Amino acid sequence: MKEHYACVCIKEFPAQSMLRLRPELRNCACVVMKGDPPLEQVCSLNRKARLLGLVPGMTKVEVETFEQITMLKRTAAEEAAAGEALLACAGGFSPRVEECSVNGMFLCVIDVAGTEKLFGPAEVLAHKLLSELQRLGFIACIAVSSQFHAAIIAARGLLANNPVTVIPAGMEKETLAALPLSVLDLTPDQAETFSLWGIRTLGALADLPLKGLIARLGQAGKCMHELAHGTRSHLFQSVEPAFSLSEHMEFDSPIEMLDALLFVVNTMLEQLILRATARVFALASVTITLKLEGGTTHVRTVRPALPSIDRLLWLKLLHLDLDAHTPQAAILAATVTAEPGSTSKVQLGLFSPQLPEPSRLDVTLARISAIVGEENAGCAVLNDTHAPDAFRIEPFQVLSTHSKAVPSVTVRPATRLIRPAENMSVTIQDSKPESFFFRDRKYTVERAYGPWLSSGDWWNPSLWGYEQWDLVAYTQAGAMLCCSAVRDILRNDWQMAALYD
Amino acid sequence: MTEQYIELHAASAFTFLQAASDPEDLIERAAELEMPAMALLDHNGVYGSARFHTSAQRNKIRAHIGAEVSVTSFGSRLTPPAWLPHQYSQSPARLPLLCASREGYQNLCQLITQFKMRESTKGDGAANIADLNQYARGLICLTGGDDGPLAAALVRGGEAAGRETVERLVQLFGKENVYVELQRHQEREEEWRNQAALRIARTLNLPIVATNGVRYATAYDREVHDLFTAIRNHVELDHAGRLLSLNGQRHLRSAREMAALFRDIPDALSNTLELSSRLKFELSDLGYEFPRYPVPDGKTMESFLRKRVAEGVQRRYGSRNRDLLERAKKQVERELVLIAKLGFEGYFLIVWDIIQFCKQNDILVQGRGSAANSAVCYSLEITAVDPVGMDLLFERFLSESRNEWPDIDLDLPSEDKREQAIQYVYRRYGELGAAMTANVITYRGKSAAREVGKALGFDEDTLGRLSSLVGQWEWRGSTDTMAHSFQHAGFDTRHPRIAKYLELSMRIQKLPRHLGQHSGGMVICQGQLNHVVPLERASMPGRTVVQWDKEDCADLGIIKVDLLGLGMMAVLKDCLELIPQHYGDRADLAQLPEDEEVYRTLQKADTVGMFQVESRAQMASLPRNYPKRFYDLVVQVAIIRPGPIVGQMMHPYMRRRQNKEAVTYPHPSLKPVLERTLGVPLFQEQLLRIAMTVANFTGAEADELRRAVGMRRSWERMKNLEGKLRAGMAANGIDAATQDTIVQNISSFALYGFPESHAASFALLAYASAYFKVKYLAAFTAAILNNQPMGFYAPAVLVKDAQRHGLRVKPIDIQISDWQCAVEHEPDGSLSVRLGLGYVKGLSRSNSEAITAERIKNGPFRFAEDLALRVPSLSRRELTKLAQIGALNQLDGIRHRRDALWQIERAGKPEGPLLQQHSEWLRNADEVPPLAQMNVEERLVADYAGTGLTVGKHPMFYRRAELRRQNILSAVELHLYKHGQFVRAAGCIIARQRPGTAKGFIFMSMEDETGIANVIVTPDLYERDRLVVTRSKFLLVEGPLQNQDNVIHIKATRLTALSDAALELKSHDFH
Repeated sequence: MKEHYACVCIKEFPAQSMLRLRPELRNCACVVMKGDPPLEQVCSLNRKARLLGLVPGMTKVEVETFEQITMLKRTAAEEAAAGEALLACAGGFSPRVEECSVNGMFLCVIDVAGTEKLFGPAEVLAHKLLSELQRLGFIACIAVSSQFHAAIIAARGLLANNPVTVIPAGMEKETLAALPLSVLDLTPDQAETFSLWGIRTLGALADLPLKGLIARLGQAGKCMHELAHGTRSHLFQSVEPAFSLSEHMEFDSPIEMLDALLFVVNTMLEQLILRATARVFALASVTITLKLEGGTTHVRTVRPALPSIDRLLWLKLLHLDLDAHTPQAAILAATVTAEPGSTSKVQLGLFSPQLPEPSRLDVTLARISAIVGEENAGCAVLNDTHAPDAFRIEPFQVLSTHSKAVPSVTVRPATRLIRPAENMSVTIQDSKPESFFFRDRKYTVERAYGPWLSSGDWWNPSLWGYEQWDLVAYTQAGAMLCCSAVRDILRNDWQMAALYD
Repeated sequence: MTEQYIELHAASAFTFLQAASDPEDLIERAAELEMPAMALLDHNGVYGSARFHTSAQRNKIRAHIGAEVSVTSFGSRLTPPAWLPHQYSQSPARLPLLCASREGYQNLCQLITQFKMRESTKGDGAANIADLNQYARGLICLTGGDDGPLAAALVRGGEAAGRETVERLVQLFGKENVYVELQRHQEREEEWRNQAALRIARTLNLPIVATNGVRYATAYDREVHDLFTAIRNHVELDHAGRLLSLNGQRHLRSAREMAALFRDIPDALSNTLELSSRLKFELSDLGYEFPRYPVPDGKTMESFLRKRVAEGVQRRYGSRNRDLLERAKKQVERELVLIAKLGFEGYFLIVWDIIQFCKQNDILVQGRGSAANSAVCYSLEITAVDPVGMDLLFERFLSESRNEWPDIDLDLPSEDKREQAIQYVYRRYGELGAAMTANVITYRGKSAAREVGKALGFDEDTLGRLSSLVGQWEWRGSTDTMAHSFQHAGFDTRHPRIAKYLELSMRIQKLPRHLGQHSGGMVICQGQLNHVVPLERASMPGRTVVQWDKEDCADLGIIKVDLLGLGMMAVLKDCLELIPQHYGDRADLAQLPEDEEVYRTLQKADTVGMFQVESRAQMASLPRNYPKRFYDLVVQVAIIRPGPIVGQMMHPYMRRRQNKEAVTYPHPSLKPVLERTLGVPLFQEQLLRIAMTVANFTGAEADELRRAVGMRRSWERMKNLEGKLRAGMAANGIDAATQDTIVQNISSFALYGFPESHAASFALLAYASAYFKVKYLAAFTAAILNNQPMGFYAPAVLVKDAQRHGLRVKPIDIQISDWQCAVEHEPDGSLSVRLGLGYVKGLSRSNSEAITAERIKNGPFRFAEDLALRVPSLSRRELTKLAQIGALNQLDGIRHRRDALWQIERAGKPEGPLLQQHSEWLRNADEVPPLAQMNVEERLVADYAGTGLTVGKHPMFYRRAELRRQNILSAVELHLYKHGQFVRAAGCIIARQRPGTAKGFIFMSMEDETGIANVIVTPDLYERDRLVVTRSKFLLVEGPLQNQDNVIHIKATRLTALSDAALELKSHDFH
């Protein structure tokens, strides 16, 4: 069958993908900013903004010098959703769609061969497609050609005021001839070479002798020559539905018991594992999304150290997790999605010591996490900072090598750190603590050592500063207390940090 | 009892990037705290000591000198324990050493020099025990703070190791010269080390001393210290972690604070006073000996110098009139007596020796500055201006009362020749006898913004954008602040992080960053420079550098000779070679005739490329000054300076010169002094003479007056001298009003004045350059193009100017051009200039030389492949560049530039070894070039992109018809219009200037095919059209014409950028 392709080109895709859901802004000058404050930059903009003189790369402050500009923040999710919507729309015209977007421009090519009976001739099809896209809120350009690349190049070269072109078969070279070289994705080197040669249009490129071009630019030269002639062949790679592991179930009546839920989840897991194993995958993580009464959702994810296809293990882990985080209302529907991971195989040596099974350790860890909270289970690692108590919890890791450095053991006085530090009230005399109340008792300070000062992060809003005192104090009854009191300099409050034996 | 405390362990920002305050700031803070003395111990050097000493003297504080020296034998500096995450790297412990005596100081300098010179490159270096053993005498050692050897030992091996380390120090320095140091920064870990140190001191019976290990003047500066730490370690502040200080307690503390901290150990404080009283050495007691010149047996330096001068007098004056000879002899005698009295014979002989070396090695050399006032210097051929004939004032150069060395600056052709002279001095006086002076690189707008930005985690792109915007004009208006630059770069200065960024960038301005070497300043000592100041390796191989900069050396009375590179000297030198070769004339700089044509050219301000008189401001004043003889040129060189302009001397002089104003004198007695400058004081020498005439000052007193006015800080001294001046004038019967005028003249002028001798030396070069340009344009143009960058204008402007003067400039040709531009003989007998391969941007010198060598060896290149094959080192990019600018057009088979580009694209990709031998087979000679020829505009773009200039027509030429239709004038047509008429003109901007004296006005020079027009931009217009003014290459200017005394400007009221067709033209922007 004769080949026939329609290419959809959406320029300024980040801006368009945001404006499609915000029709009220379409008549305003809008820019889309990327980057984190304070270093945001314009990455895409609409026509109105361009006419005002805005260009990509401007910073927020530069944009603010213009009046009545709407700044939007770029979101990958909205772009992805827009992309999906576009592909879905394209899919309505043919099941064979190939996406070939380039930086900031959405491009997809639809194989429309044999659709004449359904949609009419190419011109009609293109307009139908265009109006479909307009309904979705996009300003698009569409080129139809019997040549895949010619369709893309022509679509890229089109302007919004003349958004549709149909290239007659065999006229590709002539149609493309007037287009500038910028419609090809040239490397900076190639662009420089062509500019030196005075080659500015595809027509001029097409007129160069092929042999001479290949001798100078190699296969890339041949490729560009063919593109300019509209003769470059292409192997169509249509978008396949992504492989996803997901099961969804709506319940006839709301479920309140966890056991009942797990019964259903068991079946869903079985299905997922079956699908995963068919592709020689295991499950790396499982996410359960519960739709609850009242419109809320409850999402939990379980991720053991190694991917697994052990259904009972998964069930146990989910059970423990849901036990620790029970949903707050009755469950209306459940979705279980899983991430595929490679199947784990452990080669055990005949003489190597028997280790506990990793899955059992996972279960144990999950039990601990369920009790103490995930943020409190793992391995404590000190941070490189002077700030007090600065540490983070990292997941347990199996180290490939063991550190040979043996930490030096020095005898230190025994200290009981108070976690969390307790508030105390302190009376000061001559800039030193004189007496304090701690746990409802008054102590008189006999000796005070300090203050030990520390401060840091002065360049951040999170700046901190503490003074620490080592105190020897007595109650009226004569009971002695050796302790470490800390004053937060910024807030001027005192806390008992530690007691010395 | 009021507590007293002396800080004995402080580091300044000269402990590069490890401390945060200038030495002056430390002293000022010490003065505020009423500290009677203070010690500065910078790391591995005495870099900041000169400034510390000078500032301390001003504040009446005793400055103790020492250094913190890295010593490998005491283990590594303290780092956090291994179980704590940190990013410290290992470096040797640092031993604080204080100089008790001059011997101690000399030993310290030798010690530092010894280990610094042991390194083969510029680097920190570290001493070892043997070094310490050798140079311990006269030094007092502290055990150090957390960087010190005791702390390192205590942490490494506990108290036993600590004791052992201290015992070792006692062995090295003697029991009475070791103090156990205690620092209290309110850090827990430090206190246990202190307790251990106290026990060690007790058992070894050593004194203890408290210090604060100062790293900055005030607690607030801790931020800069942390910032420097981040910069030094190339990390962002957010990730610097434990590298940063735990708290901000390392500032200079008052005695009260220290007493509170050391209440339990009062001895630690009182010992600081005791130790301070033992430190007898101060930098004023440097013991510097000026160098002696080795004279033949039986001669003294004095007799040897007399002999050389006598020979010189005969040579210089012998053939001229008798009266002059007699006067010269008298003057020389007077000078020689003073030189002998001050003991400066060695210095003059050393400079004479350098001059001799230059003469023997064909290096053009000329002294400048106040040395030109000396007949001895003239006789020794150090200078070229005759001070007797010109009646210059010797006292400006040398006076008895002045406690400093005479200053002789020698101008040499830049680059190779200057290096030859420098290397000669090294050889002559030995590695430890001569060194370059240092050049302290400090943080400036751009570098500060860049490095602070990095430390705060901003990305490269943003930083690049910002630093391109930080203004560098000489004149700064209220909107030219750093904050403004930040806003222009698109930063929101209200954001806290940006505000901090801006604040830190401003705070580190002028703090030293690292040490470089001065371009030409050399200090010379009698083989023992390392007794005076430590020496270290410079990054340039074969160079050593002292740890002080030029001003520090001058402040401490160290003799220096400046061997400066002056591009124009190289141009003149080249002219002297090219002229006999191509014109057959013999040119001698010393005997250039006074020439009418040359003066006519100067009067017309047709001075592009001429030394000192080519700037826009010079051009604007030349038609008014209308120089007719050499002395007019001396005035011309001196008058366009901030001094005369600020002192409002320039306009009165010009008016008098044009007979628009009567010549008057402040007082009749000043007529002989001011006559030659029409009653307007212009030169420093005149200032001296005024004081000598009206107030009976001696030459030495007058010079002291000049210096007192020159130094802004010495108001007190100035007041005394002013009193004396007024008293003297009153005694001479000068009335109060005239006194005021004279005092006003002196004080407004001396600040920026220009020595007449210096102006005369420069005027000589200016005249020579004008003479060569007028008489030998081809040679001069080739020479000046070969010595770029220099001067005021870009090569493109120089070429266009030469073409307007009738010189044919020919394009670069691979078959003819060498690296240098060359003079060629045309068939009609005229001369032309051929551009050299040096002008091909991106072509390396070695490849250019390979091209020339191959061409000479095997004849011209035949075709593109032939070139690529015979000079295989040429890269594709280089071949492209050559083809692009038309340098390959003379090869066979190449029809035009695009054809060359097409062919070399293939030639740059050789076939591989097998087919390479027969690449001719593969060449298809009949192939029709598929590419169209470049059009005029494309050729222009290629010329400017590839060489920065064009030998073809000026870009404006191609637009002339269109411009004429729009009534837009050319530069030459402006002369036809009257003052005040509204005009429109367009051109290419070749220079922009915003002089400090012009109150924010910007002056632009605009070139077209007919000449250069001047444009004035008001500050208001600049504010409105900042980008057009600073960025546009081609401008349309509209506004009223100003024609005053044939000096033409357009006072712009409107500026429009003309599209520049991607031409990358460079203008020289002067700041």
